[in-house]
Amino acid sequence: MRDPAEGGSAAPSGSAPPRTEPARRADVASAPLSCRDVSIRYGTHTVLQGVSLEVHAGRWTAIVGPNGSGKSSLLRALAGLAAPRLGTIFLRGRPLAAWPRRERARQLAWLAQASTATELTAAEVVRLGRFAHGGWLAHRESDDDAAIQRAMVATGSLAWAQRRVTTLSGGERQRVYLARVLAVEAPVLLLDEPTTHLDPPHQEDVARLLRQQAHGCGVCVVSAIHDLSLALSADRLIVLGAQRVIGHGSVTEALAGDWLSTAFRTRVDIVEHTGAHLWRPALEPSAYD
Amino acid sequence: MSLPRPQIADFVAADGASAASTHFRLWLVAWVVVTLLLTGGSLIVGTSSIETSLSWLFSPDAQSSVVLWQIRLPRTVGAWFAGALLGLAGGIAQGVFRNPLAEPYLLGTASGAALGVTLSLIAADTAIGGLAWTGQLGLTGAACIGACAAILLTIMLSRGVLETAGLLLSGIVIAFLMSALTSLLLLTRPEMWRVMQVFLLGSTGFIGWSSATLLCVVFCICLLPAMLFARGLDALTLGDDTAQSLGLSLPSLRLTLLGVVTLATAAAVGQIGIVGFVGLVAPHLVRQTLVVTHRQLLIGAPLCGGALLQAADLLSRWVIRPAELPVGAVTACIGGVYLVVLLWRRNRDA
Repeated sequence: MRDPAEGGSAAPSGSAPPRTEPARRADVASAPLSCRDVSIRYGTHTVLQGVSLEVHAGRWTAIVGPNGSGKSSLLRALAGLAAPRLGTIFLRGRPLAAWPRRERARQLAWLAQASTATELTAAEVVRLGRFAHGGWLAHRESDDDAAIQRAMVATGSLAWAQRRVTTLSGGERQRVYLARVLAVEAPVLLLDEPTTHLDPPHQEDVARLLRQQAHGCGVCVVSAIHDLSLALSADRLIVLGAQRVIGHGSVTEALAGDWLSTAFRTRVDIVEHTGAHLWRPALEPSAYD
Repeated sequence: MSLPRPQIADFVAADGASAASTHFRLWLVAWVVVTLLLTGGSLIVGTSSIETSLSWLFSPDAQSSVVLWQIRLPRTVGAWFAGALLGLAGGIAQGVFRNPLAEPYLLGTASGAALGVTLSLIAADTAIGGLAWTGQLGLTGAACIGACAAILLTIMLSRGVLETAGLLLSGIVIAFLMSALTSLLLLTRPEMWRVMQVFLLGSTGFIGWSSATLLCVVFCICLLPAMLFARGLDALTLGDDTAQSLGLSLPSLRLTLLGVVTLATAAAVGQIGIVGFVGLVAPHLVRQTLVVTHRQLLIGAPLCGGALLQAADLLSRWVIRPAELPVGAVTACIGGVYLVVLLWRRNRDA
């Protein structure tokens, strides 16, 4: 889906000099989440450098790139879980580090790539999504109950609300963890591989849910997604590769610029089928029938 | 932002939650009854047959009155609070480290307390007369200082509290070093072995009203932050990143709760010596019977820990009457057998 607000502008590559035009500053201030000249390093290893981009409300943005390209690192930095070595991340125009912890937690909901199994029940896990909304003693509020209920219904996890998470299958757990993220009711959702452990029909459900969150509720959804076909159903793409942002823009722009082939350093063949973009592996059919 | 309204009228999760809450209340009542029964038993049972009779205990005899009010009651009450502190510390330690094998002595607190007591005894010229001069408060203080020093060294060695694996390793290293130092000191003063043996095996025999009061006060002090941070421990079960993203400050949570573990362990060890397994087994007893949040666990584990130590105290007086077994040996037997059963059941279910 094209974003009329963006005017079709492709984002710069990571090595571009910092932009200081007034128009750009206005963009940074209006986007719920943005970063300027961000570099992420682990020790002496540089994961990403010179990243400047913004993500928008009402849009689902997918981060794609080869293994080790920094998808998770960028998401962790955007969530404020790891401070970038250089540069600044802005949440609603204010540096992320300047936000009080609990207030920030109400603005940004985060889903980890591999959440640890917990002995808690599914309902208790989803209730943790309301952690930043309550005080330390966490009295049950009717608002909290309603948010938890909505999140569990939306992810189809209500049926096992009172089961221990350790007794659920990988896919069921993932839906509970997704419900926990939705229960925050934050304006920005940051999801690291939200379709992990899910079978294809449920991956489709999640994609539909993320799209509904963005388009129907005006949420800014950002997710790292491994599956290229699924990522191409997002509104916008951030393509990472070679320690930088290869491109940042709509799916049409990504395909026109062949950003995926650049990022993966190999021919990435995308075909269109009934309006959807699908990745076609360059693999001959099996010789054994 | 709002999600679409659900189609179903009632929130089934809330019904399930209220059922779980009723189950927890019944469970609490059951353990309170067990505790009261154990308290009654502890008041009646003495080390000789005459002192075990009810008629003697409630006779107008001055001696029986002293035995009941000045010896058995404070010992029983104190044993419960010491066990409750160890149970609470165990529940917190398992939550902070996200490890069901974590226990209160994990960060070197027990070894530190033992070293503190050894040094205190040496300072008091090691003789039994010196013990009287130092007084019980001196040994308790030494045990507390030793435990606190151990945990501080552990935190310094692991350069903070953010890396739980580093903390655990540092705790093991510090525990070994302090145990080695204690052994070296005891080698140079063999006359101290007997006194240290009582401390290292644990005993509830020295608990008076002052000790019981101290344990009660420390328990109340520890319970407050434990309840406040219980939801944080729930969040921590989802992993460090997720807990942080929920608005939790991990350094504050871990430092506060490790402080609670240290205080609870130091107070218990200072009064009854090193009694093993209570802190490890009590949280498991809760988890085996209930699906609990940490708030419920940190209420249930002290109840189980207190009852467990009372039961061990009762057995220690009963098994080889008129002599007494070290209570630490009894808890090790009970705890060891329980963990073997737990392991056997887990293997069977797998």
